[in-house]
Amino acid sequence: MTFEAAESVFLNRAPLPETRDFSRVLVLGGNGLGRALAERIAAAGFEVLLTGEVDGPTRPSNVSLVPDAVVEDVQGFVGAFDVILRTSGDRLSERVGFVVAAQPAQLVPRFANYGLSRSDRVIALSDLLSSEDLSALPARRGDWFHAAFLSGLRGESDPADFNRVLAAIERLRGLGAVQCYVFTRNAKVAAAGLERRYRESREAGALFFKFDDDGPSFEESPDDPVIVFREPLLGTEMELIADLLVVDERPLVAPSLKPLLDGIPSSPVTRPFLQPESTRFGGVNTAKAGIFAVGPARGVFAPDLAEGDIEAVLAALKAAASDEGMEDRPGPPLVDPAKCTMCLTCVRLCPHGALTFHDSAVADPLTCMRCGICAAECPMRAISLAPPPGKTPPERIVGEEIVSRGDEARIVLFLCSRSGAQAVEKIRIPENVVPVTVPCAGTIELEQILSAFRNGAAAVVAAGCFSGNCASVYGTDLAQGKFGLAREYLQQAGISPDRLVFVPVAANTPERLVQSLSQVGALIRGPGF
Amino acid sequence: MKQDVIIVGAGIAGLRSAYELSRLGLSSVIVEREAFPGGHAARLSCKATDQCQRCGACQLEDVLEQVRSSSRASLLLRSTIESCDRTDRGFLVRISRRPIRIVPELCIDCGACASLCPSPGAIARSPLDYGLYVDEGRCGLFTGASCRACAEVCPEHAINLTEPAKEIEVEAAAFILASGFKAFDPSDKPRFGYGLVPGVVSALELDEMLRQDAFSVVADSGPIRSVAFIQCVGSRDPRIGRNYCSRVCCGYAMRMARLLKSRFPGVEPWMFYMDIQTYDRDFDRRLKEAEQEVRLVRTIPAEIRSGPDNRPELVYHGPADERVVQAFDLVVLSVGISSAGLIPEAQMLGIGTNRDGFLGGNAEETATIAPGVFLAGTVQGPRSIPDSISHAIRAASEAASHLARSEGGR
Repeated sequence: MTFEAAESVFLNRAPLPETRDFSRVLVLGGNGLGRALAERIAAAGFEVLLTGEVDGPTRPSNVSLVPDAVVEDVQGFVGAFDVILRTSGDRLSERVGFVVAAQPAQLVPRFANYGLSRSDRVIALSDLLSSEDLSALPARRGDWFHAAFLSGLRGESDPADFNRVLAAIERLRGLGAVQCYVFTRNAKVAAAGLERRYRESREAGALFFKFDDDGPSFEESPDDPVIVFREPLLGTEMELIADLLVVDERPLVAPSLKPLLDGIPSSPVTRPFLQPESTRFGGVNTAKAGIFAVGPARGVFAPDLAEGDIEAVLAALKAAASDEGMEDRPGPPLVDPAKCTMCLTCVRLCPHGALTFHDSAVADPLTCMRCGICAAECPMRAISLAPPPGKTPPERIVGEEIVSRGDEARIVLFLCSRSGAQAVEKIRIPENVVPVTVPCAGTIELEQILSAFRNGAAAVVAAGCFSGNCASVYGTDLAQGKFGLAREYLQQAGISPDRLVFVPVAANTPERLVQSLSQVGALIRGPGF
Repeated sequence: MKQDVIIVGAGIAGLRSAYELSRLGLSSVIVEREAFPGGHAARLSCKATDQCQRCGACQLEDVLEQVRSSSRASLLLRSTIESCDRTDRGFLVRISRRPIRIVPELCIDCGACASLCPSPGAIARSPLDYGLYVDEGRCGLFTGASCRACAEVCPEHAINLTEPAKEIEVEAAAFILASGFKAFDPSDKPRFGYGLVPGVVSALELDEMLRQDAFSVVADSGPIRSVAFIQCVGSRDPRIGRNYCSRVCCGYAMRMARLLKSRFPGVEPWMFYMDIQTYDRDFDRRLKEAEQEVRLVRTIPAEIRSGPDNRPELVYHGPADERVVQAFDLVVLSVGISSAGLIPEAQMLGIGTNRDGFLGGNAEETATIAPGVFLAGTVQGPRSIPDSISHAIRAASEAASHLARSEGGR
């Protein structure tokens, strides 16, 4: 987190909302997608505020449009986000129930990657696609117009980009007597109808050269872009003097996502995207309730796929606006105000941005995902996890009564509820293994590990998610860090660190847990234990 | 029985549609032909090295749990739709539900039935530990014989071979077809030697080996070092009517190659390809990492044959314009995603296929020409697990809007 962001947490923190309104939605748009999204959810009865340009001559219907507004700050929680928008002449303060990030990607031409600079004859792909009049293109120097496209040679391309190249070629064909050349690494055809379009383009005469290396070099004079390359199939050196050289573009996530990222403490590991890496964040979900990521904000740059996100947003809004599934959940973690020293470790570490503070830290019940990382990380032990209705709170110490049943040496097995606990259901664990389920591996405390050893465990194994697959974004990384530390402590105390194992698993990898348990089992039965 | 939506297929798209509908307050029933849910994803292994590779296979377990715990979604296994009529409320559907034959609540998984059964594979185990069932296609009793050995030996009387199929009538306002795809059968491309050359397997077979932790066993029987992945088997091939990219196979093979490399460091994976497709966000970085572990050769072999030492041998055009003959210990064919064709449900509902043989239109749409009928996942076209999940959410949301409209209209 940047200093500015940290300061913003301090100064602009939102207290827990007293009332929530789930009917107002802020859509951060900027093109036709944002417009279509805004109109769709407005038609479903939501009150929509839309920022950014809208494609098309008319204003979107039933939507409040602030075209030049840029988000400066987002605070608060689902149903009660306080947003500051800066327009050319004003600062607006708005309260909305949800925020949808649907900004288009920024397309940055890769001129510099090729050592080229923009000129009449060297242009970016967007320049060509957006030019209304093809007759404004530079004049042909012979009977034929030679247009060369660079795509994915210095940095990978994707189907969206390749589709744009094909669209540009089809357009140029209208000029007559045009020869198109595409210099690429891989033809990216993994989208609906694209292989067909690629084949048609070749049949219509476009030439595609595929390189296994950086491809051609360029001799550039202001009037004549010359492409020098070794023809990949024939291996002969060739030169092409192009009438037009079209450079590909790198899609970047809109910089206007920054205020949203700054509001989610786990964003450093998800940047530049708003949606975390884990596939558990399906659809348009982000780590924070009430904030949704569409298209580029979740790493999807293909327009046809991003368009599908519109319905996903609508479904997410409707589901969040009803109280479905809330009643069975345990309450949010409880903070003991007498112990809380306002160090804000919890605020900084909550992956979901669920905590804020007033007189003491406090968690928003609709944002909190009950991972328990705050409770584990609180240095004052001021936070405890609330039990599910009718249940007792989870134990924080692995007591003697748990560990020392029977005669055989015990292995305490911590299970993440999202991975290890699912995997263990599919196997038979040895009698001497004592399972302890935790909401997230990130909640396993150093003290918990050491207490297990103190109370007689011969070994401690934790089965948590693979890095990159954690529902708490970095819960498993925190756990693996703690296990590394604890192994050092054991070593210093003269105990073999091999008694403490973190094994990454998923619901569908029970065999990895079996393997790990049998290795540890053999170890503690072996000589020296 | 009255339901808001009928879903055909309990694969990842069907299950996710049901979950999404339940979040929107709508009820659904999933009609699944097999004796277990999960579809293709149930047979996929986790591709994580020490890091998640974002294949999404584990999402099946998550969504299955969500569907199981939802009071609004129900699952009819071993069921098929027999007929479907349009009514003013939507659809009146007759479903035939064949019994699983082994009652899961009674079965103690002692294995007595399987040990006595004379027909191999007739007592089958579902993936995802969904219990045992009788595969009627293999069981002698259903193919002409009169054997009842399993039912007689079962100590818990959990096996019932005489129970007839049940007819269930369901009235629903919308349909979601999520019946999935068919993997390309590589024996349709004989030059790749599938079924003819020992050591040539389909990618799905390698995956099954990995899921059951059997690769190490295979590797032990004779060390497997070199593994060749052949891309585009049944994709990007208009001569066999597949003028499309299957979209998932580059990522699938690459993840599998990296998994092999991570679990069996002695393995040397090669990948023969036309174009490597971008399969995930941040692909630049991923491809660079993969290139450290996987040898990439831009060509599709002309032939795969049995070599002199009985190992499979590739004949291909090498990068220096030469003919290369190279033996591998294992050759893996990355089979493409094919359409399952015009399934009976589509015929009943009046939906056709697009030019690639999948149901519906050519773009990503979930809506069809038939009002109230939606498509989710690979039944509409090739897509990955995460993209199938997105598609299913879209289908559910559109079905919900359709319901709201038709109720408002009455």
